[in-house]
Amino acid sequence: MVKGDAKPILKISDLINLEEDIKAINKLIKNSYEDVLLMYKHDKHVHLNSSLSCLPILAVLISKYIRRSENDIDRDWLILSKGHAAPALYAILAEVGVIPKSELPKINRIDSILQNHTDISTPSIDFSSGSLGQGISFAIGVATWIKRMGGKGRVFVIMGDGEQDEGQVWEAITHAASLKLNNLVVIVDWNNTQLDGVTNEIKPKHYIPLIWKIIGWKVLWASGRDIVSMIMAFDEILESDKPTVIFVQTSDVRKLLEAIASHGAH
Amino acid sequence: MALTSVQSFRDVLGELLVEIGNEDQNVVVITADVGKSTRAAKFGEVFKDRYYNVGISEQHMITFAAGLAAIGAKSVVVAYAAFIMRAWEQIRNSVARMNLNVKIIATHSGYSNYADGSSHQMLEDIALMRVIPNMNVVVPADVHDLRRCLKKLVIETRGPVYIRIGRDYSPPITFGIEYDCELGKAYLLRDGHDIAIMGSGVVLYEALQAAEELKKMGISVAVVNVLSVKPIDRETILNVAKKTGRVVTVEEHMVFGGVGSAIAEVLAQEYPVPMRILGSTTFGRSAKSHQELLEYFNLDKKAIVKAVLEVISHGNR
Repeated sequence: MVKGDAKPILKISDLINLEEDIKAINKLIKNSYEDVLLMYKHDKHVHLNSSLSCLPILAVLISKYIRRSENDIDRDWLILSKGHAAPALYAILAEVGVIPKSELPKINRIDSILQNHTDISTPSIDFSSGSLGQGISFAIGVATWIKRMGGKGRVFVIMGDGEQDEGQVWEAITHAASLKLNNLVVIVDWNNTQLDGVTNEIKPKHYIPLIWKIIGWKVLWASGRDIVSMIMAFDEILESDKPTVIFVQTSDVRKLLEAIASHGAH
Repeated sequence: MALTSVQSFRDVLGELLVEIGNEDQNVVVITADVGKSTRAAKFGEVFKDRYYNVGISEQHMITFAAGLAAIGAKSVVVAYAAFIMRAWEQIRNSVARMNLNVKIIATHSGYSNYADGSSHQMLEDIALMRVIPNMNVVVPADVHDLRRCLKKLVIETRGPVYIRIGRDYSPPITFGIEYDCELGKAYLLRDGHDIAIMGSGVVLYEALQAAEELKKMGISVAVVNVLSVKPIDRETILNVAKKTGRVVTVEEHMVFGGVGSAIAEVLAQEYPVPMRILGSTTFGRSAKSHQELLEYFNLDKKAIVKAVLEVISHGNR
């Protein structure tokens, strides 16, 4: 469940809708999980585990929070800073009808619209990723312009826990805090894994949430296995007066995925 | 002050940024704790709400500028050339790959930061920028070139441009010569038929003086200002090379991958002529003036005259 600064803010009406929402999100997760496995079957270069760990986060965000608008300053932006999780995003975009499902098996083919890391040439992709630490800075630029122009848009950024090693993250988060960007939300996919192995064995990271907090971010926690905890965290950020980061514990998300897949979505 | 006197690149830059800010509300200026020393802060004094000093954070500065550009701003990054290179990969991955409207004004390039020495004297940047797809590279020879170019590049030109200038020292090179700044164009500063000196930046002042000296020896020298290094003006370079049959290039940059290399890429493939590439071959050092360094590293008038005479004698063999 939500820890940290979180306070339960669900309204009665939310509780009535909650069951329906969870049902829909579970169904989206089930279908997009199968899509990711399908992409992996067609190309083993797909980053399977990094994609799966953030699949529930993306499902909750896209189905319940991301608002669309023709106007760039009034719509929400989604920046996949950990761009190697692109297949998870493609799967969900296909399930919600933004890209054709028939494109998924073609991922990484020379003529495919789906690159192994997100690219702006793909419909509805906001940022060409692939190099870590840059999505957050890019998002701060977008959020800054939205605020300057008085737009309603919010900027959501998905980062990895390994990505926290990048020096640019420090440059970016200190700047965002000083700009008081309350339209900026970072979600850190805390899956305890980076390319060379277990994150804490490569470089300790337990202190990282404290650093975000102390420099001026609102810090929340949620569980990637628990849809309600993510919904509560996302609801809370909408009332923040500073930039918010949600650390989502995702190291055991596979269990949720397997459970949903084997029992079906009810 | 006469327009033909030596002027300061950064002082003119400060004035121009304010003019550009007045003309276009979407122009934003981003710097990394060098607002005062680059004069970017002049823009900040007038347009407080669209001037961003991100602190000593060059990588973030570039990607932040990319984000602003992606949603509609005309981003102008102003910082020292040497430390912008710290964000080369950000320029490649977050600016050039998305072909965003980010104009990077690199000040203190070449030997212009004479006192601060080798760490601050950027001599590799043209090569590093030129190699990136979508990136354009413009090297104003003097403040007059900067006046011709900057507004047009920032307000009207789509896509990323790297604009390379010095800290202060701007001797008169292009004053009184009529042309508009255009991407992809080189400009003839002086006509001649025996040999051509082609190059970019303040060393063209030395080239013009060398041409005067050589005239006294009966050698007719054309001088070409390669204002746009990328895209490069194949047509002008080929026309001048065909007329003169010999080329010496000069730049305040490494001889590897810079302006001379770009010219050689054109000539070697389309019209090979005897050629010499003058530039730097190693790191700079602290000195008392910009001109002293040009002399020390063989980029002054004397060195250019020597190179021209060598090419001419080789050509006659």
